[in-house]
Amino acid sequence: MINLSTGAFFERSTQQIGVLRARAETLQQQIGTGDRIERSSDDPVAAARLRMLARSERMATVDTRNSQLAEADLKLADQSLGSIADLVIRARELAVQGTAPTLSDEQRAAIGIEIKGLRENLILLANSRNIAGHALLGGQATGAAYVDDGVTAQFVGTAGVDPLEIGEGQSVVPGLTGPEVFEFETADGPTDIFSVLGNLAAALTTGGGTAMQASSDALASLDAGLAKVTTSQTVIGARLNWVDLMTERRENNAERVAEERADVGGADIAVTMSRLQETLTVLEATQASFVRLANLSLFSMLR
Amino acid sequence: MASDMLSIAASGARAARGALDVTAQNIANASSDGYVRRSLRIEELSASGGAGRNGDISLSGARIAEISRNADPFLQGEVRRTDGDLRRANTELSGLRNIESALEQSGIFTSIVEFEASLQQLAGDPSDPSRRAAALAEATTMASKFQITATGFDSAGDGLRFDADAQVKEANIIGGELARVNLRLTRAGSGSSDRAALLDQRDQLLERLAGFSSVTTSFASDGTVAVSLGSTPARSFVQGGASGVLSSTQAADGTLSFAVDGQATNPGSGSLAGAGLALTTLAATRNRLDALANGLANTVNAGQAAGVGYDGSPGQPLFAGTTAATLRVVLTSGQGIATAPAGSGAGSRDTQNLANLRQALATENPAQQLSSLLFDVSSTVAGRNVTQSALETIASSARVSLEQQSSVNLDTEATNLIRFQQAFQASGRAMQVASDIFDTLLGIGR
Repeated sequence: MINLSTGAFFERSTQQIGVLRARAETLQQQIGTGDRIERSSDDPVAAARLRMLARSERMATVDTRNSQLAEADLKLADQSLGSIADLVIRARELAVQGTAPTLSDEQRAAIGIEIKGLRENLILLANSRNIAGHALLGGQATGAAYVDDGVTAQFVGTAGVDPLEIGEGQSVVPGLTGPEVFEFETADGPTDIFSVLGNLAAALTTGGGTAMQASSDALASLDAGLAKVTTSQTVIGARLNWVDLMTERRENNAERVAEERADVGGADIAVTMSRLQETLTVLEATQASFVRLANLSLFSMLR
Repeated sequence: MASDMLSIAASGARAARGALDVTAQNIANASSDGYVRRSLRIEELSASGGAGRNGDISLSGARIAEISRNADPFLQGEVRRTDGDLRRANTELSGLRNIESALEQSGIFTSIVEFEASLQQLAGDPSDPSRRAAALAEATTMASKFQITATGFDSAGDGLRFDADAQVKEANIIGGELARVNLRLTRAGSGSSDRAALLDQRDQLLERLAGFSSVTTSFASDGTVAVSLGSTPARSFVQGGASGVLSSTQAADGTLSFAVDGQATNPGSGSLAGAGLALTTLAATRNRLDALANGLANTVNAGQAAGVGYDGSPGQPLFAGTTAATLRVVLTSGQGIATAPAGSGAGSRDTQNLANLRQALATENPAQQLSSLLFDVSSTVAGRNVTQSALETIASSARVSLEQQSSVNLDTEATNLIRFQQAFQASGRAMQVASDIFDTLLGIGR
């Protein structure tokens, strides 16, 4: 005969009810937090994946910040390049005027003074700063890009700009150096726009036949200089496009990451809710039947 | 006539009273721990007739022959074995969970990612003092998170060792108790209720001992038990009235080893075995975390040494310490973070050295290392979780089987109550009949 002990019955019942309660509580917690995983051991593989996703999300926010920085720098550079191009065009107009044989020396000298002024403005533009206060065209230097002694403008920045990471292993060079914008080749060898303007201004101020000749010589150089400036503008524009493209990709990526996070670690409310309901129903039934069975004692029949 | 109806009825009433006492005892102990249901064996008393009186009726009633314990030694052994396994799994699991919590909830992974992110952010503008300060602050946070984790490991280990020490002490006390019970068992009369109570006590002590370490038992016919502790090899712990001394020794890495009377043994199962396993895992995890902290510090410091700070001076080490517990930031100012390569002047915005440092960090990949460490620990926990719930089921079904077999069923006892009450009443009735017969005999001839 199997002896159904009273103690065993109570132990079994409490165990069953305890298990059901624990299950209901876990489900309730999943609904409360929205996460399926409370600690790594709940699902080690998913937890490891979630960690890596969180890491890439965090890195993407820094990428976004750096990308915004690069974009701001590039936009500022674009604006100053626009102004620089305007200045060079104005200088070319003046040089064309200077070639006219009808002008007097005084008029040429006046043109020379204006060109000198343009050159000074150009130096100021070349030294324009970005948001962080560094020269836009100075490479990695912290101060000004050009130092002008009135005759020659000396580039004091660094030779290159380090590329800046903007996510997914891609990078962008967030600026140009002075030589990349202002130095170019002429028939007489390498020169820069500052010395071209300086020489032209000096020649025009001096007056005489050389002044006219200098004006027409300068035209070719100014054309080459303008071409260099507009090329730089194109380069900057292309880089801005690249930054835009990467920003879009980052946004898409962030969406994908968020989706994967929800897939891997999120609790499906509908499923969890119905599981909870099911567990609670079973729990209630167990409790009710426990009470009825526990009341079934022969002692209650003994009178 | 050798029989006496009155005394037969009286012996029957006595036996029924005894049976009612046992039933009441069973009912009273229906929920006592370790109580094994007693049952009464009642046997007939009769004498064979003497020489020349073969035809006589020679009946003397009934007597209580034995109070027996309805315990199945096999089921009890199963309960000890499965319970030991379950306790090993429980202790190991709770130790591992503490390790996992220390590693996960300290937020060490997040802090490593934040440090990496701050370096990446610094690459955006190395001349920005706030970005430099942020990078240094993240480094400080990360170092303190390493320390917090190491402290968490320490307290997890301390907790396990403290429990193990207490359990070793308790096991020694139980050993002494078992030896005493053995002595008393040799003196207890066979079939007595005293003996049954001692056997209950013996089995309870054995069960508690098996919760600490695996036990090998051999029972003598008088109920005394010889106990050996541990496995490969098992060491004799209780022999008759003498008990040995279980001791634990802590190694330098915090792991425990056990010995009985100075002879090394392996607990095999029970919570001491679980503590041993958890401490071994803890030591290994700790080593890996220390190696990670050391590698991280070396990589960053080597990167620092290759470059110059913002003021143009050679890069100084950022971290000091070779273990997770001792890792700390020694660089005093963010300006000292060597972003520019050696030879650059003060105020250089060259980020080549920072790029090299970040490249070296990406190769070292401390975040991935920590993630795999965490993965290893958490998947061990997940695996042990499954083992633990399987062992729990096995242990509880073994216990339920034992209880079904050996403990009290109130319905049966209620039935017995009625049965023996009726037996008592019937014996009383028999006495009355005997008295009536006597009266009848006295009344003859009136």
